[in-house]
Amino acid sequence: MKQYEVLEHTGDFRIRAFGKTKEDLFLNAMLGMIAGLRPEIQGSESKIQNLKIKSYDLNALLVDFLSEVLYLIQTNKVIYDKVEFIKLSDTEIEAELSGHNIERFGGDIKAATYHGLDITKNNDGIWEAMILFDV
Amino acid sequence: MISKKDFQKINDYLWEIPKSFRKDMRVPARIYVSGEMLHDVLHDKSIEQLLNVAALPGIQKYALAMPDMHEGYASPIGGVAAIRISDGIISPGMCGYDINCGMKVLKSSCSEKEIRPYLENLADEIQKEVPSGLGKGRKIKLSVAEIDKILEGGVPHLVEQGYGNEEDIENCESRGRLPWADASAVSGHAKDRGRDQVGTLGSGNHFLEIQKIAEIFDDKAAEAFGLFKDQIIIMIHCGSRGLGHQVCSDYLREFIPLMEGKYKIKVPDREFVCVPFNSPEGQRYFSAMAASANYAWANRQMIAHFVRKSWEAVLGEKNSPLTVLYDVAHNIIKREKYLIDGEETELAVHRKGATRAFPPGHPGIPKKYQQFGQPVLIPGSMGTTSYVLAGQKTGESAFYSSCHGAGRTMSRHEAMKRVSGEDVVRELKEKGIIVKCWNYRGIAEEAPLAYKNIQDVVDVVHNAGLSKKVAKLVPLAVIKGE
Repeated sequence: MKQYEVLEHTGDFRIRAFGKTKEDLFLNAMLGMIAGLRPEIQGSESKIQNLKIKSYDLNALLVDFLSEVLYLIQTNKVIYDKVEFIKLSDTEIEAELSGHNIERFGGDIKAATYHGLDITKNNDGIWEAMILFDV
Repeated sequence: MISKKDFQKINDYLWEIPKSFRKDMRVPARIYVSGEMLHDVLHDKSIEQLLNVAALPGIQKYALAMPDMHEGYASPIGGVAAIRISDGIISPGMCGYDINCGMKVLKSSCSEKEIRPYLENLADEIQKEVPSGLGKGRKIKLSVAEIDKILEGGVPHLVEQGYGNEEDIENCESRGRLPWADASAVSGHAKDRGRDQVGTLGSGNHFLEIQKIAEIFDDKAAEAFGLFKDQIIIMIHCGSRGLGHQVCSDYLREFIPLMEGKYKIKVPDREFVCVPFNSPEGQRYFSAMAASANYAWANRQMIAHFVRKSWEAVLGEKNSPLTVLYDVAHNIIKREKYLIDGEETELAVHRKGATRAFPPGHPGIPKKYQQFGQPVLIPGSMGTTSYVLAGQKTGESAFYSSCHGAGRTMSRHEAMKRVSGEDVVRELKEKGIIVKCWNYRGIAEEAPLAYKNIQDVVDVVHNAGLSKKVAKLVPLAVIKGE
């Protein structure tokens, strides 16, 4: 199963992320976002970063999760590519992130948007979400 | 599916989808394009997005799109929504993440001939002085207290610190500072993202170019703007960087439960999430947006400072001052007054990828431009032409707005499949244009083939009476930041 695919969008960066579980879906959406940042030089392992978010519903939770990870990536200059989920409900997430310190990004992502977002489970029981990032 | 037959032709450059087209539309949707361009705007979801704009509570007259329109994430890029303050909403998504993304143009007193021998050095020096901010950011990380001063003080604060002069304030939209900005409405996260980014360009379509004036269309206006043929010009395109992006994200998140719970407002797409303009939450966002706008003006001012430093370092004794023509936002919400049904009405004009273009005699523009209108700064795609225009009285029908660029017509993904960054740089080099960039991938994404023809776009703006052409500029060096 693919983690995510890049879709066409005239102005911005759109992906469709997949997951056998909600946890997988959140992780793969995050990996899709990281691909858009194009980290160029991977360095030493980062410190573990805790993350706690409460949101209005599951769609909002995914965007708020990606926004928080983006903030941590950009301010800590760390690419987080591993997530240990401690809690993931429809409105709440608690997790530990880890990854690598980096020198620079090859591209920028301004934000994860709520535009057209709808998390669904397809006929094969796979979670799917289409997410648009402002770049 | 929306097709050409759904449009009514108002004139050769203006087309309308009537309010009756969709049940939730409160006003008609109007787009400024030529007959030839109309077909092209139907290939993505930009018209559908404009119909969503027409459904926003409090919107007056029309939902508008400029000729550079293309698909965005709430409004199409190139969208304008004028919302009545007394009973309408304020929508962070309709302003966008890059709050006060905009243009600043610096003028030299030198001609191309004088600068040509120094061009390569100048481009190198500017690239070193003005980073993209995608690496380590600026070496200086400002304190939160200093960021707060920038958020509330904008350009005048930097001028006080010695990073510019009085004319930099005078020749800037809103004199480089929105006074209702409130630093306490900006989150700690946003300030963190902004601490090492004052004076950085960002990536994507943001750039800095050394250009020359290739053609003057209006001698008198050009004279008033201090522009002449072959003159060397510096054009800067960037915004509020991570700070503005975070402010928008923060308020979208806060507004979702408020809109759906407390205020029970319905919008066609969650990205338009909004609250009443006059609500405490709406006013708090408006003051955070103003603070981000001040940060963006300060960012462009700081970049101008570093460009001037480079200019002096390279030109030495031959140096003459770089003065500012104008600085104008193209993603912003402003309170402006217009006649609605014969009554002067205060509106929150949301411009998303649209440039304010005030006409001659408007009190909101500097005295020296009163006779000819506000300078309207329109960049073309990389390596193509850019324009300086002047706002016109006839632009009132578009809430004094013009386009903000050429407008994309192809995704970045598609552009990269069709062309390599190396090819783009080689082609520009063959035209005598220097390109300074960190990576070729970003260059491929911004290749001219991914954009509309800027001349077609600007001709619509000119012919529709939104702004009139004053000067055409061509690039000599494109700088994308180190």
